[in-house]
Amino acid sequence: MNYANAVLQGVFLGGLYALFACGLSLIFGVMRIINLAHGDLAVLGAFLVWSLTTHLGAGPFVALAAALPVMLIVGYLLHRTILARSLRGGPLTPLLTTFGLAIVIQNALLQVYSPDVRSLGGAAGDLATGSWHLTEQISISYLGVLILSAAVLVLGGLSVLLRRSAFGREMRATAQDADTAALVGVPAQSVYAKATAIAVATATVAGVFLAMRSTFDPSSGPTQLIFAFEAVVIGGLGSLWGTLWGGMILGVAQTIGATIDPQYSILAGHLVFLIVLAGPRGRSLFTHRREATA
Amino acid sequence: MDVSKTGTSRRDLLRGVSLAAATPLLAACGGLGSSKSTDTTRKTIKIGFVSPRTGATAGFGEPDAYVLELARKAFGSDVQILDRDSQSNPQRSAQVANDLINGDQVDLMLTTSTPETVNPVSDACEAAGVPCVSTVVPWEAWYFGRGAKPDDKQAYKFTYHFCFGVEQFHNMYTHEWPQVATNKKVGVMWPNDSDGNAIRAALGPLLKQSGYTIVDPGAYTDGTNDFSAQIARFKAEKCEIFNTFPIPPDFATFWRQAAQQGYRPKICQVAKTGLFPSQVEALGDIGVDIAGGAYWAPTYPYKSSLTGVTSQALGDGYQAAGKQWNQQLGPSLALFDVAAAALKAADPKDKQALAKAIGSLDVETPIGRLQWGKGPNANVVATPILGGQWIKATDSRYKVEFVLVENSSDPNVPVAAKLREYRG
Repeated sequence: MNYANAVLQGVFLGGLYALFACGLSLIFGVMRIINLAHGDLAVLGAFLVWSLTTHLGAGPFVALAAALPVMLIVGYLLHRTILARSLRGGPLTPLLTTFGLAIVIQNALLQVYSPDVRSLGGAAGDLATGSWHLTEQISISYLGVLILSAAVLVLGGLSVLLRRSAFGREMRATAQDADTAALVGVPAQSVYAKATAIAVATATVAGVFLAMRSTFDPSSGPTQLIFAFEAVVIGGLGSLWGTLWGGMILGVAQTIGATIDPQYSILAGHLVFLIVLAGPRGRSLFTHRREATA
Repeated sequence: MDVSKTGTSRRDLLRGVSLAAATPLLAACGGLGSSKSTDTTRKTIKIGFVSPRTGATAGFGEPDAYVLELARKAFGSDVQILDRDSQSNPQRSAQVANDLINGDQVDLMLTTSTPETVNPVSDACEAAGVPCVSTVVPWEAWYFGRGAKPDDKQAYKFTYHFCFGVEQFHNMYTHEWPQVATNKKVGVMWPNDSDGNAIRAALGPLLKQSGYTIVDPGAYTDGTNDFSAQIARFKAEKCEIFNTFPIPPDFATFWRQAAQQGYRPKICQVAKTGLFPSQVEALGDIGVDIAGGAYWAPTYPYKSSLTGVTSQALGDGYQAAGKQWNQQLGPSLALFDVAAAALKAADPKDKQALAKAIGSLDVETPIGRLQWGKGPNANVVATPILGGQWIKATDSRYKVEFVLVENSSDPNVPVAAKLREYRG
């Protein structure tokens, strides 16, 4: 029974990881950049939503709806002003740029918001603490279901967008070969900027859910980045559905590990990650770099 | 290209880390030589102050600006206080400490809040022969955590410490928990970090001796995002008391999941988090009635000997400056009281004499009277930690407030209420 609950909670936790990983996966798939500031962008989004709920009294979801367009613009400008330039500097520059960006965001947030921990759980009210009790051991939390549905919607929606729409085609073309795509009239920089905008918006959604589940402060970003990165790798780089599965596998590995002994929780997740990395899929990461976005 | 990208970055990162780790060592070696040749004709006395102002434990550093202003005003122009940010990071902490020792040539070092910040500073000072006073690290984690042997009564020559320890926690818990009728079964979540392991080794056996049953599912890693396994265990074992020493986000995650999965202990006793109002406010309704410990509160009947500010005035002054009082104000100001007393007791330019003088000081501070030489060992004064509970604020400016419910470690401090059962 404990294991059944562990798997269930792991799947819900996986939803959060997948949401975090979504933007990371997208940016990597399209631009081949590992965005080290991804976790901090999520926290930035969470702070924006927190400000809207606290100062305007809006509910967290209304605030999220209002924050998303803002974060889309932030993402777009981020690419136009910073990432586009660093992309021209060779493969190492974007990595260093996003690393620097992470530090800038953390310290800017610290200046504006002080080091106090905050949460959106209070604003979300019963949603954050309520659940359906199936049996004495198994309960399904409202928040878990909500996060998982959001993850499926966001990742599924993006996947459909990439497969079916004209914009998706442009994005896949650019991901495969930016120069050739440019020859047939697909402006790579514009596609990149839009991809970054979407990635930052999904990070905001993830940040807001994290803020409802737990607390956050200006330095919360990096801890979530590692799990997001693992979810991306477990699910296969550049594949959005894969990222959803990757998140869930990571989540379930952690909860099963914790059921055996709490000490093994995080470790079990890392082990699964390492096994994948050592396996055929991990090796393919280093050989087939230019695979298409799913 | 990705291969080279990730490869290079990882190597660079490792190189950076090893450099950062090596710097304090090199600097410490340099410090040994240069401290002898310190210019004794300089007039201004320099005090270094290292605390976490940014990073994970930045909450502790928040009242620093206010305390520093009070201290600077009281010291006047003869004493220069150089405050540095440890960024909550042990490497950075060692680095700024060594810069203060070698670059600024400080005469006395002060440092506070968490082993990650304090222990590296104390180590650097001990190595370089600079007197250092520290606080807000459970004293066992400071004394033994830096390598002292259990039977060693004066392990350090230059570094001194005042703080509560495991005994004070035990005192507090055994006086506080009987205020609510329970089955004396304690579910514990002690993480796999220096605090958690020290508590498991030292506090666990003490609580067992006092008749409590400890249900310990095992050490978890900081940053865990799911606690269903522990919650299931606590529910199955019917633990009516819950005790934890987590970092703030882990507690929030746990406590919300506990509410979701129907685990509601009668007493929720937290330490390490729940020290500051913002951490409890962030929990929303489920944060009210949580019990915690306090190493200072404005109701402490003591005053700062350096500034003459009473505890009440310290809390009020801070609130007038904008934010709700927080317990870090007391020990941070106390550090400067100790510094002032030490500088009076010995020639500030003679580091040996200054360090020796600290070992026999008797100082009044906002957290109480600190007397070295009577404590558990020559380097440490064990200070009280008192039990309290977070309740809905009576002051409309704030959401929650902390009331003391237990004063066994210092009966001079008034108790304001009785522990209430957690109602959720």
